Parts: sequence; structure tokens; C-alpha cells
Amino acid sequence: MKGHSYKAGIFLKDESRADWHDKTLWMVRQKRDKAARSVADWEDLRERASSIKEQVLSNLDFYLSEFEQRAVENGVKVHRASDAQEFNEIVYKIVTDNNAKLVVKSKSMLTEECGLNTFLEQRGLEVVDTDLGERIIQFRKEPPSHIVLPAIHLKKEEIGELFHEKLNTPKGMSDPVLLTSAARTHLREKFLSAGVAITGVNFAVAETGSVVVCTNEGNADMGVHAAPVQIHCMGIEKLVPQTRDLAVFTRLLARNATGQPITAYTSHYRKPKPRGEMHIVIVDNGRSDRLKSDIHRSSLKCIRCGACMNTCPVYRRSGGHSYGYLIPGPIGSILAPSYNIKKHTDLPFASSLCMSCSNVCPVKIDIHDQLYKWRQELSEKGAFSPVKGLVLKIAGFILSKSALYDFSGKVARVALKWLPRRMVYSKINVWGWERELPAVPQESFKKWYSKNSGKNNL
Amino acid sequence: MNRDNLLTAKDLIPEFIESLAHVGAEVIKLNGKDSVLAYISENYPECITFENKEIWEEYSFSCSKEKLEKLGTIQLEGRFGVAENGAIWLDDNCFPNRLLPFIAQKVIMLLDSGKIVKDMGEAYDCVNECGYGVFISGPSKTADIEQSLVFGAHGPESLLVFLY
Repeated sequence: MKGHSYKAGIFLKDESRADWHDKTLWMVRQKRDKAARSVADWEDLRERASSIKEQVLSNLDFYLSEFEQRAVENGVKVHRASDAQEFNEIVYKIVTDNNAKLVVKSKSMLTEECGLNTFLEQRGLEVVDTDLGERIIQFRKEPPSHIVLPAIHLKKEEIGELFHEKLNTPKGMSDPVLLTSAARTHLREKFLSAGVAITGVNFAVAETGSVVVCTNEGNADMGVHAAPVQIHCMGIEKLVPQTRDLAVFTRLLARNATGQPITAYTSHYRKPKPRGEMHIVIVDNGRSDRLKSDIHRSSLKCIRCGACMNTCPVYRRSGGHSYGYLIPGPIGSILAPSYNIKKHTDLPFASSLCMSCSNVCPVKIDIHDQLYKWRQELSEKGAFSPVKGLVLKIAGFILSKSALYDFSGKVARVALKWLPRRMVYSKINVWGWERELPAVPQESFKKWYSKNSGKNNL
Repeated sequence: MNRDNLLTAKDLIPEFIESLAHVGAEVIKLNGKDSVLAYISENYPECITFENKEIWEEYSFSCSKEKLEKLGTIQLEGRFGVAENGAIWLDDNCFPNRLLPFIAQKVIMLLDSGKIVKDMGEAYDCVNECGYGVFISGPSKTADIEQSLVFGAHGPESLLVFLY
């Protein structure tokens, strides 16, 4: 199977695009820093966000039943799905019960996770993703390459070409304003004729039974208020206990995601509109298994801001599609193995463990530590290739014996000096494919230290 | 916390205006609601307001979506504003139809300048229980094409706030 490093290699072949990708995401990271610094109690907010999420995860059964009870009192129909299949069937039934043919959807990573679009399309329904970035990748039949900026891997010329083909815009038109306007016209038609609108959920409030959705485009609201039936889909971990907890998260989310002080729209859906129908589908799909694991449960705190992607040197230089999982970057690399450990074995290694992800995480998930723990688990399960396993075993043996280590150092210093280049930089030396070794020193650090210790108070 | 105490801080107005500009909204400050209404009827004669009961009924939930889609400029009044991010809270009592703040091409928003709170912490103390409520911060926007900021993704292309 072609893993992350192979696909990253392909991404890097187009050097100017890879460079653009890297710089653009770094710009988003800088905007985030500026926004974070404008809030005096930023670190305190992160701490509070983290502890609210911990509190919820430790009492999830309580908050779930409180939420469900309140929602039912509000006139909302609440459904529970234990896995993707059940979730898809529930949504399909609501759509067909209402004789709808067209479904409009605003951004929801959960529906991506469950493969809802494909499920509905195979049964003859039309599903339209209404977030501009999502519509673009839906036209291209691609998965998103970033959870907040789904089409960040594309250049405007490619989008112009795509819209020419799909929306009949003039050939060669690639101005973002004109392209956005063409999409606006196209999607307004869809909003007005859809029978059902589906949204994801950013936060669900246990004490009121309401769900909160944050968008910049206003597409969740256009869909929900125009269609007779609204469906909000949420993972069980989206709960917060009280309305006032939203203050913590709405102050963090947009600032951390894109550097905005808040999204253009922060919508609170509590009761259905007059003559309308409101459904909430609560989905588990493996989350309660993760909740049981002391090691990996902290990943359930994630609020999907995408900041760990923007800051990650590996993500920025390998692109979202190289991860082969719907959520890329550092957070995706710790989520993916818990769904399919065999398929995503390489993802915990797609990191330099620089800790930048953990430092920007608004809910203080120990992402770098999680990556490390996955590596430990995977190596115990024998997930390494035999060559890598053998190399590590030899290294472990040498490193544990001081004399042998000193001797190996001596051999290496001589060998690296005299061996022909084609042997040192042979195919087996993967490290040396793109890099040069530093000049070989005359002596080891240990020797240098023992000679110099005592001088200059060293 | 007492709501009336929160909604008085005059020194929050400059920060609120700055935040609105930052999120892409236009702001005009006038003295008194009457002068705002006079300004609007002079400069935006086509603007639809929902202050009288008949128009409220006309655009309520039974109004066709096609009719709503033809709306140009509408006038709404927010409940309160948030200084730190320029967000304005509206709920079911502010419009006859939930689709209105999104489907109109341009939204003119009125706000009593005495009703500005410092941050989201104070804001959520003022949020009332309602079927639907929304914080609106600037016009609809997207940066999905090469990170270029474009106003009017799906919702209004512009937001004009009148503080009085």
C-alpha cells in the first residue's frame, strides 16, 4: 500500500505548488497568533476549554440524556446511531419519509466519516454540499484536504476550469470574486428547491437541548431555514454542559482556526421553525471505544479548528491528501489509527514530534504525546517492516553498551571519511536521499568533553 | 448577573466600531433612532422594514421562498452587540422569518449603542431562551478560493450597522 511518505513525495514534485501550500498555511497560522495575542486571557481560555471537555467526557451519559430530554421538550426528534451504517439509514429514512429528492448539506466531518453522501446518492438522491470549498471538491469527486479549508490544495485557475465545465462560467475566468458569485447563483437555486437541509454541529448544549453551528458563508442557515426539514448530525463528544460554556469556545474557535474574532454566523438552533421539522442525530461510531481508552480519549476533546494542520511542518509540506484519511494532519494522525489500525499504521510517523500542534491546540490535547504513544503501540504490535525492526534492535543493543557505542563511533568516523560516496549514499540510506551528512568530526563529543572539562569552568 | 448593568458601558462603542470594520461591516453612528430612520428612508428608499404588523405578516413563515429571494435591502434591529468581535445577537423576535437575515442581498442593522457588551462571556449572560438565535458578525464571507476574501458567499453581500 502506498503510504503517507510516498504520497507526500508526489505532492512535493510540484515544487512551486508545494511552496505555495506551505506559505499559505503558515500565513493562516500567523493570523491565528495575532488573534490569540489580542485576547488577554487566552491561556486561561484554553485551560477552561480543556477542563469543560474533560468534565463532559467524564459524565457523558448524564449530559447526553439531559440534552436528549431537553431537545425532545423543544419539539425536536432525537435519534441515536451506534455506527455509520445506522446513521446513514436514519438520515435516509427521514429524507424519504418527507419525499425529498434534493438534500443540501453544510460542512460536517461526521457525514464524511460515515460516507453519507455516497449512501444517499446510491439510493437515487441528489446531495449538494453548500460550503463553497466543499462544493468545489464535490465537483472534483475528491475528499477535503483540510477540515476548515477543504479546497486549500487547489489554485484558482483549476477552480475556474472546473466551474467552466460544471457551471458554464466563461473559459479562463479565475477571479475569486466572479467564481464565488457564480457559485452563489448556482447554490441559491439548490437552497430554494431542497426538501431537507443537513448540518454538522459545532457544539450541543445539554441544559437547553440546542445545537450551535458556526459558518462564515451563512450556508447552514440558508439551508436550514429554507428547507421544510432540518437535520443536525453530531458525534456524542460535541456536548457542553451550559449555554455560558459557549462563551469559552466561541472566543477560541474562529481565532484559532483562521484568525477571525468570530465566524460571521454563530447559529443557535433550539426549536423547529413554524410548520417545520427538526431532527438531531447523535452518533457514536467508535467514539465510546475511544472514551474507554485512558491513553487515547483526549482526542475526543477536539473542536475541529484545524490549527494543528496549519502549524504542522509535515502537513504544510505534504498536503492533506497524502494522509489517506478524511481528517489529515496531526489530529487526523491520532484519530485514524483508532478507526483502522492496519490501514493507517504510518500516520503516527508522519510527524517530527516538534510539539507545535500541542502548543496551538485550543483544548490542550497532547497531540505529540498521542503520536508518540501510537508509535509505541504500533511497534509492540509488530507494525514495523522487518528491516526497520532489525535496525532499531541493533541500535538499541549498541546504545545500551557504553564501550560498544564508543567503538562504533570510532568505526563510523573512519568509515564515513574513507568509504566511497556511492556506498554511504546507497539506496538503503533513505535519510541520505535528500540530505547531506555533516562533515565528520575528528573526535567524539565525549572525548572532547573529557579533554576540555575543567577549563573555563566547563 | 444583572442584564441592565451590563448593557450600559459607553466606552465599549469605539471598540465595537473597530471590530465591525475588521469583520467587513460598514458603521454609521447617529443621534437617536429617529435620525437613523430618517437617514434610511432618504438614502435607502427601497429598504423593507418589518416594523409594521402587516409587513411582518406578509413575510412570515408562510411567505414563499421565491418572494424572499427577490429581497434587496432589509432593515433589522439587533438585541445587543459584542465589542470584542462586532457580533450582533438576533433572535426569533427580531424577524418574521428566520431566512430573512440570510437571503436578503443587503442587511441594514439598527442597534442601540447602550446595548453593547464587552465579550462573549457577557454576551451569553444576555442571550435569552428562544427557538432560534444567531450572532451575526459582518456580511457573509468566504476565502475558499486561494484564501482570497470575498463578501457575499451565500448570504448578504454587505452589512450596514446604524448605532444610535
